Amino acid sequence: MSGGVALQAFLSGLALGTAYGLIAMGFSLVYRLTGVISFAHGDFVVGGVFIGVLVVLGSTPVAAALDVVHSVGLAVLIVAAGAALSAGVYFVAVRPFLPGVGHRSTRGDVLGWVAGGLAAGLLIREVLGLVLTQDAYAVPDPLRLGSLTPSGVLQLPGGETVSVRALGVIGIGLAVGILVERLLVLTPVGTAMKAVSEDPTAAALLGLPVRRLVLVAFVVAGALAGLAGLLISPDRSLGVDDGVVLGLKAMAAALVGGLGSVRGALAGGLALGVIESFVVASSVLGPHYADVVPLTILLIVLALGRRGLRSALREDPE
Amino acid sequence: MTVELAHYLYLLIAVLGLALSVSYGGQPVLCQGAFLAVGGFGVVHLERAGLPLAAAVLAAAAIAACAGYLVGLLTARLRGAAVALSTWAFAWLVYTLLHAFPAVSGGSQGLVRPTPARLNSPFFGVTVTLTPWVHVAVAGTLCLLSLAAVARLTRGPAGLDWAALREAPALATSLGVPVLRRRAALFATTAAIAAVSGAGITVLLGVAAPSDVSPLLSLQLFVAALIGGTARLWGPVLGLLVIAGIPPLGDALAGAVGLPAEAAGGVLTALALVAVPFLREPIERLAARWPERAERPREPVEHSGESATPTASRKGVMLAAQGLDVGIGETDILTGVDLEVRAGEVHALIGPNGSGKTTALRALAGALRPKGGRILLEETDVTGAGQFEMVRRGVTRTFQRTVGLERLCPHRQVLLGVRGGTPVPFAAVRHLFGSTSMQDYADIADREAWRALRVTELAQRAFDRPGALGAGELRLLQVARAVATGSHVLLLDEPAVGMTGPERAALARVLRRLAAGGVAVLLVEHDLALVYGVADRITVLDRGRVLASGTPESTAADPAVRRIYLGDADPSSTRA
Repeated sequence: MSGGVALQAFLSGLALGTAYGLIAMGFSLVYRLTGVISFAHGDFVVGGVFIGVLVVLGSTPVAAALDVVHSVGLAVLIVAAGAALSAGVYFVAVRPFLPGVGHRSTRGDVLGWVAGGLAAGLLIREVLGLVLTQDAYAVPDPLRLGSLTPSGVLQLPGGETVSVRALGVIGIGLAVGILVERLLVLTPVGTAMKAVSEDPTAAALLGLPVRRLVLVAFVVAGALAGLAGLLISPDRSLGVDDGVVLGLKAMAAALVGGLGSVRGALAGGLALGVIESFVVASSVLGPHYADVVPLTILLIVLALGRRGLRSALREDPE
Repeated sequence: MTVELAHYLYLLIAVLGLALSVSYGGQPVLCQGAFLAVGGFGVVHLERAGLPLAAAVLAAAAIAACAGYLVGLLTARLRGAAVALSTWAFAWLVYTLLHAFPAVSGGSQGLVRPTPARLNSPFFGVTVTLTPWVHVAVAGTLCLLSLAAVARLTRGPAGLDWAALREAPALATSLGVPVLRRRAALFATTAAIAAVSGAGITVLLGVAAPSDVSPLLSLQLFVAALIGGTARLWGPVLGLLVIAGIPPLGDALAGAVGLPAEAAGGVLTALALVAVPFLREPIERLAARWPERAERPREPVEHSGESATPTASRKGVMLAAQGLDVGIGETDILTGVDLEVRAGEVHALIGPNGSGKTTALRALAGALRPKGGRILLEETDVTGAGQFEMVRRGVTRTFQRTVGLERLCPHRQVLLGVRGGTPVPFAAVRHLFGSTSMQDYADIADREAWRALRVTELAQRAFDRPGALGAGELRLLQVARAVATGSHVLLLDEPAVGMTGPERAALARVLRRLAAGGVAVLLVEHDLALVYGVADRITVLDRGRVLASGTPESTAADPAVRRIYLGDADPSSTRA
């Protein structure tokens, strides 16, 4: 692999990884507050994008150039749709099965929210599939990151070129990711969430609105998923069924970053994106392995995770 | 129509296999479709490699079993939700692999196999053409066979292990059941059965296509297995109805509303998935009805001296801790604890809350790895041996909280301990095929179980429902399960919790009886009246250190012990 190709692969990997990181951040946030593994999370990404596109274009997606009003509308709508889907799934499929406040010892109905999350994801895919019958669609880019320079690439002094779009995705994604992470650390809401994640019962006894904070977490997670979709979908053709694998990759990122750490999830996402990008660019493995390698990483991390992960994922020995 | 019937029957086989892991093993497995794929694509490739059909099916099943055992081992330690996540990821991994490598899967068209196939038997000189009706017969027979096998297995040692795996894995480990290996073995069986089912479908349809073994199929099979649950006869029938119901209902819906049929099937699967958590409870309540026996097996006549423990010949120090340091995470709980438990003695471990009694017991039982010091069992160093190995070596503990197996009568629960203490290799398989040696083992196990029940004064309650037992009797049952392992060292964690006065007296009798039989008992207890009534030796722990150790009289007189237990007996020491 030449230096130029490696640089390209690294940057596009970072762009991809930023999106994975954003999805994984939401996943970790939800897990931290509720202990719920959100099985429908990847479908919020795809669901948000397609709902936004369907509403704004009024038809199945085409890679059309949009005017300013439509662009802004589409961008806002995609993020909002992701948040709305997440909140909806929380109310319908997760909340009924959570342990009641003050009953942490009974872990709630695990099978309930597992089945609920799987069913919600399946419903999102199938309902969208009723309208979107092709395997994949090209999605317009409301942010128009690619047209920052006329050619869409940036010429480096050494004669190499890098995609401007990738740089834009990395910039926006990391900025939002770090902003959300800082907000969670610095604002009172973030502090309250930290309290809920450590001990929901004690937090409820202190008068914190636990249920509302959990809802906020789901909304933020959904919005981050929507943003991730907004950032990466124009780069690739997007299919309705891509959501599951995206979600599983984000879970891998969250696990690599130490489940429950929002910061770690972003870092894990970046790492996973770069790995995937190099796998695709490598002459030995190639694009066939684009999904295979991350899923394998997920399985390995689940089975052989580090100490902190183990206690979260494994059965109590007692 | 016949083809569809055969197809559904093959899928029912996969559901029955999946129910082994889901309903009997208690693991949410979401990757049955992946194992169907192993069977379906495996059989085509193996046939192309020159194997005859029957051998190809068996080989594919063996490959699937190996893959299943591996996935089972990797997921065996995980919590339920993490098992669901791993198996879901595995299902997608296999699906992605099939799409990524058309050489294996034949691309989106799939691999084609000539149909109808002929089956030639060189031994009998018979040729069978595999018409759909033959498939129906084969699949139906396999369904009935697997139902019969599962029914027989649940009555034998496997049923005991499964109940323990499902309801109380920690208890199973403490009684010497190899939980991880059992889960992996169940997983392997599930996978092998799925492979047979997948192979059957491929031969029936003449094609193996990736879209036929998608993760959606895994979800559908999971729903069917869950709804069918552990209900013995009508459960699978219900499962079949779900499987068979979704496609025609989807078609009807598609026809009525004008949707594509595939999408309608997906929506229906999603709805069935949502319904599962709500349906599960009433179904389980129906399935959990206590099987009333018309006649209870009578308690066998006791031969003289039978209830004496066979280990009476042992003498001296059985289990010893030397300078034991134990910590959980960063916190040090025990520092430099010395402890000796002798055969034929009840050794009480007392101390205030948080002094490290339970931690000491867990370390001695092999559930916690000590940071320093040694643990000796009859002068053999067993430091760092796991809980499982300690049970094999004859050291068993009970839990502080009451761990119940709601569905097993005390006699069966005690049998679980017997099987854990003296394992019989491949007991489940040998039981399944009615091996004669298993009958002898069963007789011996039954005698051992009755011995444990008599020692703990529970023989009258042997066939009662655990829910009907009092709190004190349930505590005694914990002791009985541990006694049944045949261990010569018992580590009992607060067995008297929740006991009434008479029950405490019974417990004291039980403990003395065990000691008289030569067992070394280490008793963690808060009830000092009970302790001073039964203990031969007392060790007092305070903040992770041994404060005093000796006979009941000497520890009772110890001023340090009096200080922590009585607040302060000697005013001169605090005045200073």
